Amino acid sequence: MSFRDRAILVTGASRGIGAAIAKAFAAEGGIVIVNYRTNEAAAEAVAAECRALGGEALAIAADVTSPEAVAAMAARIAEEVGRLDVVVNNAFAPYRFDPDNRARFWETPWEAYEQQFEGAVKAAYTVSRAMLPLLQRRSGAAIVNLASDLVTRPSIPYHDYTTAKAALTGFSRNLAAELGPLGIRVNCVAPGLVYPTQASADTPEEVREMLIAQTPLRRIATPEDVAGPVLFLASDWSRFVTGQILHVDGGLVMA
Amino acid sequence: MIEHAGHVPGLNRDALRWREVSHSAWGESATVALPGLEEAQATALCAHVRENARAHLKRMPVARIVDAIDAAIARLLDREHPLRRKAEHLLPIITGYDRETVRLGLTGYLKTFRKPQLLRFLAEDFANPGVLDGFQPTPKGGYLRAHGPELLLHVWAGNVPALSLWSLICGLLVKAGSVGKLASAEPLTAGWFASLLAEVDPEIGKCLAITWWKGGEAAAEPVFLREADTVMAYGGNDTLATLRAKLPITTRFLPHGHKIGFGVIAREALDSRKAPALARLAAHDVTRYEQQGCYSPQMLFVERGGKVSPAEFSRYVAQELSAIASRHPRRALSPGEAASIAAWRSAQETRAMEGTAELLGEPSSNWSVVHVEAPEALSPSGLNRTLKLVAVESLDEVAALVAPYRNFLQTAGIAAAPERLFRLSGQLGEIGVSRIAPLGRMTAPEAGWHHDGRFSLLDLVTFTEIEQSAEIAAEGFAPYVD
Repeated sequence: MSFRDRAILVTGASRGIGAAIAKAFAAEGGIVIVNYRTNEAAAEAVAAECRALGGEALAIAADVTSPEAVAAMAARIAEEVGRLDVVVNNAFAPYRFDPDNRARFWETPWEAYEQQFEGAVKAAYTVSRAMLPLLQRRSGAAIVNLASDLVTRPSIPYHDYTTAKAALTGFSRNLAAELGPLGIRVNCVAPGLVYPTQASADTPEEVREMLIAQTPLRRIATPEDVAGPVLFLASDWSRFVTGQILHVDGGLVMA
Repeated sequence: MIEHAGHVPGLNRDALRWREVSHSAWGESATVALPGLEEAQATALCAHVRENARAHLKRMPVARIVDAIDAAIARLLDREHPLRRKAEHLLPIITGYDRETVRLGLTGYLKTFRKPQLLRFLAEDFANPGVLDGFQPTPKGGYLRAHGPELLLHVWAGNVPALSLWSLICGLLVKAGSVGKLASAEPLTAGWFASLLAEVDPEIGKCLAITWWKGGEAAAEPVFLREADTVMAYGGNDTLATLRAKLPITTRFLPHGHKIGFGVIAREALDSRKAPALARLAAHDVTRYEQQGCYSPQMLFVERGGKVSPAEFSRYVAQELSAIASRHPRRALSPGEAASIAAWRSAQETRAMEGTAELLGEPSSNWSVVHVEAPEALSPSGLNRTLKLVAVESLDEVAALVAPYRNFLQTAGIAAAPERLFRLSGQLGEIGVSRIAPLGRMTAPEAGWHHDGRFSLLDLVTFTEIEQSAEIAAEGFAPYVD
């Protein structure tokens, strides 16, 4: 599954799942654009790891909900890399998965939903639109969006977050229908709870055990577990797959 | 197994010099033996065909010929018939086209030669096809009868399966004794068809022969060129010029040289729903026979102002070509063909670097699409699934852009509303375009089409006219005259 000489943009790649995905592409020889919002040091560290793994890497700061910032990022990719084969929309609005202190529905303000929509759908929209001209120049280009298995099975009802991810899957399927005739595939990877990441740090051991008990593969996903399916959906191995949602949660959700 | 090509009535097949040629494609190989004739054998063959045609073909009603062709074609359309099976097996190996392309292409093409289509074909050229059987009254007075050639020589070229049947059937319909020279790249179908005709109606089978010789070298060539009174030839202009130079001045020469096809897409056809569907049809025209046909598109002119821009439309076409390739893989290219694509691509790459063109498809892809925004005159592509799309501000620009190729124009595929279809067809007709097809049908002419804008049957015949005054004068010599 070599990505040698292929260019991959991973948004929100300075940490967690994004960083794991970036490094996995790099290990397969890819040219990885490590997008981040604020943490330059972390992003540069990921880029350095990518190079150590045998790939090439370029860290670019851009708030993925800002059309101007994303346009500038596209211009830089065009200029410095000259091509783009894969976009992984991984970045999302800051969120804490804290089952004990989560806002219940009647405590969740509409603004919280809006913020999650911005982080999930607007980010994917903004990045996909800006990168489309670059993607269209390649044959076999792919977009992979990070959704969540909570859409299908809200084990813990994180209303704002999960509703936004549900919208993202609808967005992805429409995009798949639109871009298929142009040769671009669009799919989602829907992880379950991934641990450890910064966002999941507040998920107590008891909740993790509860999920593990119900998971056929008997553990919680790691960031590296998510990277494999993303690489698959970005590669030629999945060349006839589009508009799909691939759950990566050890079998907790079967759909 | 060796497949013996050709059809040589009256000659002992064992006495011929068979030349074996091996072909391989799609992991299989086949050997074709091409018949080679000595001078004396060629002379005997021409005499046999001419005499049989004079004695039988010219005396039988055209309806009987139509029935025989219909019956022979029905066998070739029958997928269980041994010859059809052989065609589906061998033609992909010989021509390199994939099995699906050969199978679908054969059926689509052969069904234009069934009885209803043949009758339509006759009606297309003759107001009263009865003129082929006997004198028929004319509106101005007098009588008319059409005579086909005594000996019609066909010189075929190219690898499009069964293409030879077109001229062969034209000749039969006007009752010409026919000798065909096989194309090395598709040397089988004409012989199979002739043998089927011989089986269906043995008298007709004796009136045509299918053979082969190496152009310009064989001893038999001068015999055929001297004996034929009409020659219908296919090929490049150089080949045709060489051939014409060798023919007696009295021989009628009907050349069909190489042509270049193109498509035109109007803005009204470029909305979100119709554009992707049109792209699919355009890709189909490009893929079918790998642009080897005279009717294949090598350039598309795409009008600006539709919902889908020319740049976007090129991407739809590119993706369709990519998708079609999995169903219809491109045939293996000869070194020359590969070099031709590489040269074309490299010219487009240079322009892409300058920013004046956008090249889609990797060097490793088995298709290439280039798109330019500035108006550009028609030019040949690298063939074998290479296509250029040129954006134009208005359809009215197209005629001037293709005019430099006036002598090579034939088919234009047009997607436009009726009023503009007629307007554009008028402009294109003035500069030599002879066939307007919809996208998706460019490589499949209608039954009875006018190849290169000519009358395919009418061009073959001469008329004998009994003038009205001659008929009146004859009345004076009648035994019943008062």
